[in-house]
Amino acid sequence: MKLPSLGFGLGLRKEHYNAIIETSPEVDWFEILTENYLVDGGKPLHFLDQICEKYPVVMHGVSMSLGSHDPLDMDYLAQVKALAKRTDAKWVSDHMCFTGVDGTNAHDLLPLPYTEEAIKHVSNKIKQAQDFLDRQILVENASTYVTYKQSHMSEWEFTTAVAEESDSLILLDVNNIYVSAYNHGFDPLEYLDGIPAERVQQHHIAGHSQYDGYIIDTHDHEVVDGVWDLYAEAIKRYGEVSVMIERDDNIPELSELLAELQIARDVFATNYAGARNV
Amino acid sequence: MSDLYRLQKNMMAWLTEKNEAIVKPDIVDTGEVNKVSVEQRLAVYGNAYGYRLIDALSDNYPAVHTLMGDDDFYEMTYAYMAAHPSSHFSLRYFGHKLEEFLSEYEKSEKGLPIYTEMARFEWSLRNAFDAKNTKPLTLESLQEIPVERWGELKFQFHPSVSRVDLEWNTPQLWAAIDEGADPIAPEKLEHPYAWLLWRKELLNYYRSLDIDEAYSLDAAIQGSDFSSLCEGVCEWIDEEHAPARVAGFLSQWINDELLVEIKLD
Repeated sequence: MKLPSLGFGLGLRKEHYNAIIETSPEVDWFEILTENYLVDGGKPLHFLDQICEKYPVVMHGVSMSLGSHDPLDMDYLAQVKALAKRTDAKWVSDHMCFTGVDGTNAHDLLPLPYTEEAIKHVSNKIKQAQDFLDRQILVENASTYVTYKQSHMSEWEFTTAVAEESDSLILLDVNNIYVSAYNHGFDPLEYLDGIPAERVQQHHIAGHSQYDGYIIDTHDHEVVDGVWDLYAEAIKRYGEVSVMIERDDNIPELSELLAELQIARDVFATNYAGARNV
Repeated sequence: MSDLYRLQKNMMAWLTEKNEAIVKPDIVDTGEVNKVSVEQRLAVYGNAYGYRLIDALSDNYPAVHTLMGDDDFYEMTYAYMAAHPSSHFSLRYFGHKLEEFLSEYEKSEKGLPIYTEMARFEWSLRNAFDAKNTKPLTLESLQEIPVERWGELKFQFHPSVSRVDLEWNTPQLWAAIDEGADPIAPEKLEHPYAWLLWRKELLNYYRSLDIDEAYSLDAAIQGSDFSSLCEGVCEWIDEEHAPARVAGFLSQWINDELLVEIKLD
C-alpha cells in the first residue's frame, strides 16, 4: 500500500554531514545509500545516527540484484533489515536490474530483457525480499543504453507488470526516463502514461552528462530544464509523491542542492495546483 | 540454461573479459536512434565497469595510486580486477586482496616492494576507519583489580587495532601524500620497524613501537597474560624492572583507547 508523501528530500552525502548537523536545513527527509552504512562502526554510522534523530530517512541500495539469475544474498538482506531498524527507515528501495551473475559483482545496474521469463523471475525475487524484510520495497527504473533482441514489450510495460506481479512499489526516476527516452528514442510521456499512479512512491530528480548522440546518467551535474519539464508532467499524473535531488558526484555545497530542491517545490506548487484545477 | 541466465553470462563476459562478440548478437542495432552504434552502447557499460573499480581501489589506496601515478595504477587495477573480480556486495571490500596481488606484481616490470607495503598500511587504515565501535577501558577499571592478581590479567583489544612491521619509510610517505606535502623518496630501512594502527573515537592513529612494546602488544593480542608479558620483556630489560615496564605499556594502551576489556581467568 502506498505510503503518504514525505515531501522534498535530498540524498545524504558525507560532504554535507557537518552542515546538516550544524544548520538543520529545511529538508523534509534524506535518502541514504544503503551500502555506505553496512559497516561495523566509525564515522559513517556516527553521523547517520545523529541525522536520523532529526530527519526521516529512507534507504536506497544497489546490491539486491533483483534481476540476477543468482539467488538473493541473504547475508546482505539481513544487514539491510538491521540498518532499516536502526534508522527507522520509512522505506527501502533498489533497482530493476542485475548487478552480476555467478558470484561476480559488476557493481553496475545492468539491463534486463523485457520478457515474460524476466517478469516472473524478478517478481519472485522481489517477493522473497519483501517477505524477508517484512515490508513492501520500491524498485527503481534504471537508465539503460542497450536494447536486447529478446525484449518484446516496452520498459514501462515491464516495470508495471513486475510491480503488479510482486505487489511492490515504484521509485520512478524522472531523469532516468529522460535519459533512456533520449538513448532509445521513445516518448517519455508515453512512459509516464504507462505507469500506475497508485504504485509510484518516490521520484528521483538528477543531472546527467550529454555526449554526442547519447546521454549517460552520471548524477554529477545540476538538473536540466528538460528533466524539470518531465517532473512537471509526472506531478500532473501522480500527484503528491516524495521527491528528492540525487547527486552522486561532483558534490556541490549544500546550499546549491537546497536551491535545486526549492525549484522542485516551485515546480510542484505550479503543476499540482494546475492539475487540481483541471 | 534459461535465456535470462545465458544473456546475463554474455553481458558479464563483455565486462570482465572485454569479449564483445559473445553479447553483441543479443543487442538490437538501433543505429537509427541518434546514430549510436551497438559498440558505442556496449562501451558505456564496459567503460563504467573499469572506471568504477578503479575509483573504488583508489578510494581505499590513495597513496598507492599516487606512488604509481595514474597510468600504472590504471594498468595495475585492470590486472587486479581480472585476477580478483569483485564478489562482495560492497565496493568497500573490492581491494581486500591488493597486498597479496601486489606482492606477486613485484615480479613484473611495474611492481615495487613499496607498493605492496603501502597497500598493507592503507588497508589497515581502511579497516580501522569503520571497525566496530566499542567502549574503551578506563584506568579506573584496571585500578580496581588487586595488584596480587595482575599476573593473571588478559586483554581484549579494540577491533580497529592492527600491527604491521614495515621495511620502508611507508608511514612518512603516506603522511606526505595525505598532507599534499612535497613528495619524499621511498627509502628502505636498515631493519623493519614495528607499527601500531588504530582508531580513537572517530580518528585514525598510527605510531611506531619499541621492540619490547611490540612484543608485548603482539603477545597480549594473542592472549598472553600480564605475567607472561613480564617474562617476555626480560629479553630486553632486567627482571626487576619488567613489571613496571609492562604496566607502563598498559597505561599507554588505555590512554590510546586500545583496550576494551580486561579478564581474569
